[in-house]
Amino acid sequence: MKGVFDLYTARDTFLHRLDPRVKILAVLFLSLLGFIMTNLIPLFTLLCFIILLLYLTRSTFSKAYFALKFVLRLMVLITVLWPLFDQSGTPVLAALGPIKITEPAIWRGLTSAIRIGCLATVWYILMFTTTQRDLVRALVKMGLRYDFGLALAISLRFIPTFGFTIESIKDAQRARGLEFDKGSIIRRSKNYIAVLIPAVVYALRTAETLSLSLQSRAYGARKDRTYMREIRMRSSDLVSLVIVVLLFAIPAVAKFVFGAAI
Amino acid sequence: MYALKMSGVSFVYEGAEGHALDDISVSIDEGEFVTVLGANGAGKTTLAMLSNGLIPHAIKGTLEGSVKVFGYDISKHTVAQLSTLVGMVFQEPESQLFCMSVEEEVAFGPENLAIPRDELFKRVEWALDLVGLKGLNERSPATLSGGQKQRLAIAAALAMRPKMLVLDEPAYALDPVGRIELYALLRSLTEKHGMAVLLMDRDSENILEFSDKVVLMNSGRILTVAPPSEILRDIRNFRAIRVPPPQIFEIASLLNSRLTGVDFSFTTLDEAEAELLSRVPSLPRRGDTR
Repeated sequence: MKGVFDLYTARDTFLHRLDPRVKILAVLFLSLLGFIMTNLIPLFTLLCFIILLLYLTRSTFSKAYFALKFVLRLMVLITVLWPLFDQSGTPVLAALGPIKITEPAIWRGLTSAIRIGCLATVWYILMFTTTQRDLVRALVKMGLRYDFGLALAISLRFIPTFGFTIESIKDAQRARGLEFDKGSIIRRSKNYIAVLIPAVVYALRTAETLSLSLQSRAYGARKDRTYMREIRMRSSDLVSLVIVVLLFAIPAVAKFVFGAAI
Repeated sequence: MYALKMSGVSFVYEGAEGHALDDISVSIDEGEFVTVLGANGAGKTTLAMLSNGLIPHAIKGTLEGSVKVFGYDISKHTVAQLSTLVGMVFQEPESQLFCMSVEEEVAFGPENLAIPRDELFKRVEWALDLVGLKGLNERSPATLSGGQKQRLAIAAALAMRPKMLVLDEPAYALDPVGRIELYALLRSLTEKHGMAVLLMDRDSENILEFSDKVVLMNSGRILTVAPPSEILRDIRNFRAIRVPPPQIFEIASLLNSRLTGVDFSFTTLDEAEAELLSRVPSLPRRGDTR
């Protein structure tokens, strides 16, 4: 259950130790790279690189599987569906009535699938190696307002709590004879109202105590709040940052300045 | 100086009809452990939230009378200002712990007050040590046990270095052993650190052992204020506030009312055994079974 809410896996790898700001930038740059690349081979190389990084996170197999299952399904779906909608180019490989499958469309479908694969997988590297706490700290350090950072942290913190609450409400309603998996879709959605209402009431009550608790602990008392833990950029983080920038800049310059076909 | 002094306090929640508190006057000395007993709707939570200014600053309504904490009028100071005088612990441990690690939870309050970093570390270690959660700095509060969560909420309040701690039914969800541990912790705060403790509760079982003073409340009014030994002399008051008295006192009272020629006054199990055995001399003894 917990794995669904928090993808972080505690390990002692280089990627875990890396400054979360560098990781956020790296993920952004790798995503951008996925966007600017349009050819199959470079994109495939990028995907391999991302999967290598994912491997280096030493995440558990079950978590990696959970994460990649979704991405893989998406990739297969794109590869299969693309040629059905994109019918330009020759040669035509097969035709059935108004539908024709062309060879360039298959390649384009594959390319797009790999691009989506890159964009989706790269975020898991961040999620597997960075605690939610560090993620929020990094965002605040990068200029996010503290109140927004706190709101984000609180939301992340309460997701599992609400998840468990909803499960226990469902169990309670099941014990009273409500069946969630039977009947038509409309019937089933109606049954969920019996979960939704107590869940919303619970959420509102929690939010109220939360706000009183924040105030009781001097939240917003001063503008110049201090922080017990600060993230610091070490020299190894700086080196990594330079590598990340180069990794992005070299292909970008090659493409936009020298017109390389990537 | 009084830690808390309420004179003629009445409060009506916005949109509500009846008084949540009706002409309350009570005072708490520095370093005193006061237990407020009352059933649901007695006004305990209202009383608690008045003591750090959440009422009237965060929760609206009509307030009459004066509430002073360590001489400061709560209506003239913000909750944040009062937070260094009064630490607050709520009933639900889950919804008052909102950070991702134990350490951050404790540091949150002092961070808001812009306490310097090295002092933050000291305070966190001090507070965690005091409540017995030392070494759990990196744990997620969500993974702690019920008793640990309440201790963490107390540590988070203590890190503000308040002079009084107010707790609204903190032992509600705890088992009997967890409760006694919690009360013992609170007692040590009064004895070792001179803090005043105002505990809202509906469990009377341990008042004699831990409280200096007991307040009995019912429907927004105070019925009696007295030391626990005095309160327990006549347990009819407990019926009036719909809180069961400690069982040992109930037994003594029951026996006194049913039997003639006895006046049991035991307050602990050992005393009960001695007194009862001395009263039934005719039956043969099995020897010491305890």
